Amino acid sequence: MGMTSMDERAVAVIMVGGPTKGTRFRPLSLNIPKPLFPLAGQPMVHHPIFACKRIPNLAQIYLVGFYEEREFALYVSSISNELKVPVRYLKEDKPHGSAGGLYNFRDLIMEDNPVLTFTFSFSNLISHIFLLNCDVCCSFPLPAMLEAHKRYGGMGTILVIKVSPESADQFGELIADPSTNELLHYTEKPETFVSDRINCGVYVFTPEIFTAIQGVSTQRKDRANLRRQSSFEALQSATRSLPADFVRLDQDILSPLAGKKQLYTYETMDFWEQIKTPGRKTKPASNAAINPCSRLHRMSLKCSGLYLYQFRYTSPDLLTNGDGTKSATIIGDVYIHPSAKVHPTAKYDKHLAILVSKFAQIGPNVSVSANARIGAGVRLINCIILDGVEIKENAVVIHSIVGWKCSIGRWSRVQAEGDHNAKLGVTILGEAVNVEDEVVVINCIVLPNKTLNVSVQQEIIL
Amino acid sequence: MKDLSTMKALILVGGFGTRLRPLTLSFPKPLVDFANKPMILHQIEALKAIGVTEVVLAINYQPEVMLNFLKDFETKLGIKITCSQETEPLGTAGPLALARDKLADKSGEPFFVLNSDVISEYPLKEMIAFHKSHGGEASIMVTKINAGIYLLNPSVLDRIELKPTSIEKEIFPKIALAGQLFAMVLPGFWMDIGQPKDYISGLRLYLDSLRKKTPSKLASGAHIMGNVLVDENAKIGDGCLIGPDVAIGPGCVVESGVRLSRCTIMRGVRIKKHACISSSIIGWHSTVGQWARVENMTILGEDVHVCDEIYSNGGVVLPHKEIKASILKPEIVM
Repeated sequence: MGMTSMDERAVAVIMVGGPTKGTRFRPLSLNIPKPLFPLAGQPMVHHPIFACKRIPNLAQIYLVGFYEEREFALYVSSISNELKVPVRYLKEDKPHGSAGGLYNFRDLIMEDNPVLTFTFSFSNLISHIFLLNCDVCCSFPLPAMLEAHKRYGGMGTILVIKVSPESADQFGELIADPSTNELLHYTEKPETFVSDRINCGVYVFTPEIFTAIQGVSTQRKDRANLRRQSSFEALQSATRSLPADFVRLDQDILSPLAGKKQLYTYETMDFWEQIKTPGRKTKPASNAAINPCSRLHRMSLKCSGLYLYQFRYTSPDLLTNGDGTKSATIIGDVYIHPSAKVHPTAKYDKHLAILVSKFAQIGPNVSVSANARIGAGVRLINCIILDGVEIKENAVVIHSIVGWKCSIGRWSRVQAEGDHNAKLGVTILGEAVNVEDEVVVINCIVLPNKTLNVSVQQEIIL
Repeated sequence: MKDLSTMKALILVGGFGTRLRPLTLSFPKPLVDFANKPMILHQIEALKAIGVTEVVLAINYQPEVMLNFLKDFETKLGIKITCSQETEPLGTAGPLALARDKLADKSGEPFFVLNSDVISEYPLKEMIAFHKSHGGEASIMVTKINAGIYLLNPSVLDRIELKPTSIEKEIFPKIALAGQLFAMVLPGFWMDIGQPKDYISGLRLYLDSLRKKTPSKLASGAHIMGNVLVDENAKIGDGCLIGPDVAIGPGCVVESGVRLSRCTIMRGVRIKKHACISSSIIGWHSTVGQWARVENMTILGEDVHVCDEIYSNGGVVLPHKEIKASILKPEIVM
């Protein structure tokens, strides 16, 4: 390892948010923090963490959020062991905004890393800070971003992507210089169309970012002092009444610093999705009727598929082999946890004189979590099957998320239209829901511990 | 009744059978299969069994199709089958006047009138005894309502003119006034199977009756639940669960892991593996794809193909269609 590489040590900070805004992930968020919900068989936060592993000289990964520490304790210790990179959960005492949250833990983030103290003391300084939002689903091209960031020589580089002009207004729209890639203009969820390039919520910064955040904070304090003299001004602007330590990255840092040769962009050509419902800006005409819970779960299902697809390149060993000789016929990208049991029976039927396959048929886009049991002749398409689920013989699950320890009866059918404009486009079964034999559940959200003994359609079942 | 061998019967076949579409788009209603045989054969066989020698079908369309089909049965059953074709709809009494020459012969024997939509145990022997016992002009079989099975003396024909007339509303009241009409309560089941919902319930009643009378005709085995009729030329794969109240016609192939309940699978149908069908009618030579779900009064016309993994909730599908997208709410697919 040369001196130059030791000079450049990085940390990654992944913002995981908190339970306060998790209502739209019900009924599944009733059991698990959203960042730990499995996509492609791995907790949502696993995907950015796994991507961080590819950052050269990565010293530490921090997860920052408002969830209780104990909710992440088990996961953090197991992933640290697995990746051989220290991962630590930091709980915010209150919301600080994404930039404020980063700043709040600046001393920890910049501190010496005990694991690497054998290196020269001058080389232990952190040179780059990656900031990632957990509810973003993309390929996280972090090493390439870092390379670009170093070339640009600015304070920060933002991952951007081109989207359709119709959807751009739900995100931060930005304009970059086509030759230098400098960020020239940034507007969060603009009223009128600015650009089809949007902020992906993935950044790399040099430590000067802390100075910039401190600057905003100091400015706030000064304004607050002024406001004591002019209460009229305070009434004029809600923004200015924000607490001094609440600093948003987009409005308070990116917008003011655009066009000042400090921020640059790196455009990804891969996939990108946001795993949350658009907040204040939805298009009432087209989206008003869509249930927000359903929408979020549909995004989860889609992102699960995108991550499964990415496994082809990053972790092909996680994908289930599709040759059908073991226990199931596999179509497309499928993850099956090693502890899940897929019933293997196939025999030659003399009577029908055809090879009767009683294999389950699984895929595309299916992930089956630990200890699930999949019976003979089951068909799974575009679904997430969580831990301990039992799916009995000949049942069908399509466009659905099946919660922990659910039981799906023989010849029963759990399905949704999978249509993006449908009110309930994905069927969600909460924990320990029991669908009896031959029952059909279409386009429903079912809360935990219910038994369904008659068919239901287009309902939320409390 | 000195000599039963000269008894005759008229079956009111009627019109287009629109209520039983889309099945009647492929075959005239009397030829639509019920419990693995054309509806009208249930009646003809019952008539033959008590010694009726000639059956007149009062029909107002496609007599050639009917006669061509029934030609085989004429010889097989040893019964004469003729058609009396209305050129205009004559109601329920008019066809009797039209077929007068065939029904009234020198013997003076009473003749049966049956509605082709009705399925029952046909207690015709009991009806003859009843008719003989009261000595009146006309007997009608009743359940809670008129069961559509009559035994009439030839003299009733004198009361009917050759014009559109309702036997129930115009002729019976007159016979009743004359004190010549007698009603017999029908023992056993009875069902008008002229529409799909009743067709499906009718099959349940029919198979219940078969269970009591000739249980050997019903299928048995670990994969059979309740009353199931399987044609000897149908194939059923392993891991299936079939019943209750299912009829599987000749030439059908039911692959492995299939679930069938309360349904009729007509001649030449293929049900692919792991499919699940309940409360439905699958028309001739149709296919149902693997992991498909067909239920809630789904009626597939002739030669309909439901693709793999499709769900049909009450889809009524006209002949020769391919269903590639799920039908979530009852609807008609043209």
